[in-house]
Amino acid sequence: MVPKDLRSFLKAIEASGDLITVDQEVDWDLELCAFGRLACERDAPAILFRNIKDYGLDWPVFLNPIATWRRLAVAFGLPPDTPVPELYRIYAEREQNLIPPKTVADAPCKEVRIPGDKVDLFELPTPMVHEGDGGRYLGTWDLVISKDPTTGWVNWGIYRFMVHNERLLTGFPRPTSHLGKMFLDHYVPKHQAMPIAIAIGCDLPSHLAAAATFKLGGNEAELAGGLGERPVELVKCETSDLYIPASAELVVEAEVLPDRIAQEGPYGEYPGYRTGEIGHGICARVTAITHRREPIFTVDVTGLKDCSSIVTSISGAIAIQRRLEKHGVPVAAVYVPPEGAVHLAIVSVRRGGAEVAERALQTLTARRALLSKIVVVDEDVDVFNLAAVLHAFSTKCHPGTGIHVTHYEGRANTLTPCYSQAERVARSGATAAFDATWPPEWPREIIPVRATFDSSYPADIQQRVLGRWKALGL
Amino acid sequence: MPNEYEAFVRNIERTLSGFPVVLTLRDLTPGKKKYRALHVRAVVSNPPKAGEPVLWLRSVVGVKYPRPYSVRILDELTEAFTAVPYSDLFEAMERLERSQ
Repeated sequence: MVPKDLRSFLKAIEASGDLITVDQEVDWDLELCAFGRLACERDAPAILFRNIKDYGLDWPVFLNPIATWRRLAVAFGLPPDTPVPELYRIYAEREQNLIPPKTVADAPCKEVRIPGDKVDLFELPTPMVHEGDGGRYLGTWDLVISKDPTTGWVNWGIYRFMVHNERLLTGFPRPTSHLGKMFLDHYVPKHQAMPIAIAIGCDLPSHLAAAATFKLGGNEAELAGGLGERPVELVKCETSDLYIPASAELVVEAEVLPDRIAQEGPYGEYPGYRTGEIGHGICARVTAITHRREPIFTVDVTGLKDCSSIVTSISGAIAIQRRLEKHGVPVAAVYVPPEGAVHLAIVSVRRGGAEVAERALQTLTARRALLSKIVVVDEDVDVFNLAAVLHAFSTKCHPGTGIHVTHYEGRANTLTPCYSQAERVARSGATAAFDATWPPEWPREIIPVRATFDSSYPADIQQRVLGRWKALGL
Repeated sequence: MPNEYEAFVRNIERTLSGFPVVLTLRDLTPGKKKYRALHVRAVVSNPPKAGEPVLWLRSVVGVKYPRPYSVRILDELTEAFTAVPYSDLFEAMERLERSQ
């Protein structure tokens, strides 16, 4: 069964051996997240630190909720060793079964209420995540809620927010993000502040839905219900008409200011680098804080193989597959490896060639161009097997004619490390598709034959070898 | 009064010009409020002057310059700058410098 809130998830991953609890004191200033970063890079368990310097036992901090496939499986209510392709299949299935949320009058996240004029953000154990970051990041594994005032559409997203002073936050939801577009299109022109709520430590399906690649105008609360196989409970904010997941440990209510800026970043993000986008963010004033008694603060220690790369690996790949299908690309499977930091997608197709690679490239860069590399392989290459993909790329992608590049302006991923500062400001960039498929015009009888076990031996020989393998001590 | 700050700068020559500049300082005093930001008009000294708070400078990607400087705060400014969201912070600070 899917754990219903963060605390039941902690129990579940403790039982599966995927959580370490630490009672010794740790410093929120770098030391805490140095543990968390190394844990990501070593695929180690999640960590719950109970004793934080300057904050004592008041605010335990939980690091890296789902930075491994094992923990994602537990969050789905599945055995921790569920294979990745099976996780993909289950996600795609549940994503199609949206379940509407239900509202409740009260919730544990309202046990402590702090009005805006009493708020002091420094009372939260917000860590300094990386040495050289612009400040302390409160929003790393958060769920940020905003509302389109014209249509009533409510967006959930995961966006970073940094502590500026006692009541002010700065943030960098990209201008092309759903929140960024909503703010720029509907609030800034009217000089109106935009209410938001930053929920931390919610049930895992809600965070997965917020972080997911989901359609513009889609209802992430319904998606969370589908992923968790039960309706998400929502409760109203104190200072706006937004509704937040009732399971939250901590909620920071704020309004994004339509005419103010302050320093935001730099910050070491999911690409695994700290890039130079400092100075192009937004500014929000906190209007209230509510939290549970004995709340748990949650942090994704962002960088290579963080939580967001796992979530985007699965939801992004499924969104890519659906988009390619819709645009007539004969796609068989898609994998977005976490090691590629959401910059690389592997697409297998039932029929390859330059035209298909070019169509995939144009389809995946039409609105927002988050990917910078797409590897297109034939259907017989298992997209989840990176050794097989690398073999196909190395041997089948023609260096003179097999690389297709598209350039764009105004929609590039400003966090892509290889872009110059000028490209970042103009949001200009490029994406390359590496066509590692056989040209469809090549006759079957001249296509090179793979010299591998599964391709070079008759079925009966393969069976015999497999049958004798262990008996021969191999 | 804090005795150690850091600031992120795009143009270090401008910051070290000896003229008043607008900066976002981060208070490095240990404790719960470490890294609190404040906006100031200030003069940065190179080499650092005795009696002034130490200032460490970092680039736009957070690379720390190896030598310490010092800072003399002339005025504390508003907590946020008036500008269109997503606009360039350094340009906003330079506009403020020119208007003072």
